Amino acid sequence: MEGLVTQIQGLSGTASDVLSLQNLLKQADDSLHAESTRLPPFLDQLDPSKHSLGYLYFLEACTAGPVTQEQASSFVLTIARFISSCVAEQIRLAPDKFISVCKRFKDQVLLLEEPLRGVAPMLTAIRKLQLSSEHLTALHPEFLLLCLLSKCYKTALSILDEDIFEVDQPRDLFLYCYYGGMISIGQKQFRKALELLHNVVTAPMSTVNAIAVEAFKKYILVSLIHHGQFPTNLPKYASSGAQRNLKTLCQPYVELASSYSNGKIADLETYVEANKDKFESDNNLGLVKQAVSSMYKRNIQRLTQTYLTLSLQDIANRVQLNSPKEAEMHVLQMIKDGEIYATINQKDGMVRFLEDPEQYKTCEMIERIGSSIQRLMTVSKKLNVMDELMSCDPLYLAKAGRERQRFDFDDFDNVPPRYNI
Amino acid sequence: MDLSVVNEALASKSFDKIADICDSLMLQAAAEGVPFRDQWPFALHLLAHIYVDDVNSARFLWKSIPATIKESQPELVAAWKIGQKLWTRDYAGVYEAIRGFDWTQQTQLLVAAFSELYTTRMFALLQSAYSTISIQDAAQFLGMNEDDATNYVLRQGWTVDPTSRMLTVTKQAIVKEQKLDPGKLQRLTEYVFHLEH
Repeated sequence: MEGLVTQIQGLSGTASDVLSLQNLLKQADDSLHAESTRLPPFLDQLDPSKHSLGYLYFLEACTAGPVTQEQASSFVLTIARFISSCVAEQIRLAPDKFISVCKRFKDQVLLLEEPLRGVAPMLTAIRKLQLSSEHLTALHPEFLLLCLLSKCYKTALSILDEDIFEVDQPRDLFLYCYYGGMISIGQKQFRKALELLHNVVTAPMSTVNAIAVEAFKKYILVSLIHHGQFPTNLPKYASSGAQRNLKTLCQPYVELASSYSNGKIADLETYVEANKDKFESDNNLGLVKQAVSSMYKRNIQRLTQTYLTLSLQDIANRVQLNSPKEAEMHVLQMIKDGEIYATINQKDGMVRFLEDPEQYKTCEMIERIGSSIQRLMTVSKKLNVMDELMSCDPLYLAKAGRERQRFDFDDFDNVPPRYNI
Repeated sequence: MDLSVVNEALASKSFDKIADICDSLMLQAAAEGVPFRDQWPFALHLLAHIYVDDVNSARFLWKSIPATIKESQPELVAAWKIGQKLWTRDYAGVYEAIRGFDWTQQTQLLVAAFSELYTTRMFALLQSAYSTISIQDAAQFLGMNEDDATNYVLRQGWTVDPTSRMLTVTKQAIVKEQKLDPGKLQRLTEYVFHLEH
């Protein structure tokens, strides 16, 4: 053990030294695990900011076994300090070990019932592990989980704002998008929530998984809140398993959506009351209630399509509110949130509906359109690269070659008639 | 626990930065395993979120505070009352909550700044949403008595009809920038190039 420590101290200087050190460490891994109880004192002889790789191996072996309550608190602190001082290049040589250590860190933080302790270190860990901000690691969902449990929704948004183009493991993506959806819902960013939940339900999956089912339930509710409707069918690019099974597995929610589309608040409220227990056991009751109250908004918005002016009393009657004052408050809130363009005339008790005043001529609007175009161009370039890579992929070419007879000659004139691997 | 950054922000009136400063300081303290909650300026932290109109974060912060601390800090409970009124859209109630407590010196700075900001926001809302509004309602929205409210809006260009006690809104024309600079030409070239290929 002491010999190994000396080697770590000696070989952590240059990049080539570190590579030879890695080989030594890989060979010593089994014995490290065998002696895990003896290791903690050796950690003190190593400096995590210089000997990051060696420290990581020792730390991973130390934490591999069961951890007692007393040890948990000191381990949590040790790992947190390691994460903040370690060198990214060194730990990227052993990503699996780093991920294991961080996951155990999360487990112990939850054991201590202090998820807040893990938020900042996990964010640092992600930044050090990631090869770029477009890279989704196994730590991303752990970070979001800690944010959810400690109620640090705002901190989570900084990660959610980054676009992801590379994923290590499909399961990470499912969990990341599901938790991300929940955080966006908490911050009332329904458009973002819809995007993330959409990714979960349309992701490729050979069999429907539990995460997709829960995501689908929230997806229906957020669709109702944000768009006022729910598309009856999933898009064609969703997996066939999802298209066939998700709706049957989420029956109460699908029925809620069809009751919503009838536009009658009283019927909707009756349905919710009758099925309250199911929604509550799914932890979705709050979201269901938000969907119900969004119906008032939807119904008021529909009025703007038919009327130029309407009295507050009329609005109250049509939308089934109790008084003109309530109608006034609803309209005021919608104007504040930018969901409607209107002015209220208290003297006559009328509301006048207006056109969107945006003329798309201002510098600010040009900046917005400009940055959207830039983003589209970036995505387009990435798609071209992916397309080229995929056209060389043997699996794809084999399938394309096999299905050749079903398509026009022109579609596949680059594929030789018989393609054998 | 070093809260000097927070105090500096308060002193320099950078009220909009306090929420982010508090958030990151709190995460750091938690990561170090320091038991910070007893000395943490929760009321200030909560009000900082309210100042930047982030009632969601204020709500989550309130939910995460242990019950014992809530019971022992009446100022914190009073600060949350403001947040609650904002959350339930009780526009007039916000002013009552602001005035209904004797704030400590530091908190008073933030509360006063928020109160001013809130009145400005409410006025902007009334300006955009109403063509006519009763003096009584306007006074409620602006947190003033009816005479003060009338004088406030008259100074902004509105007109008043004393017999019907109605105010007529005059919207200020906002001129938005429409000039283009030549740098945009470079961008347009890029777009066309991209579309051609």
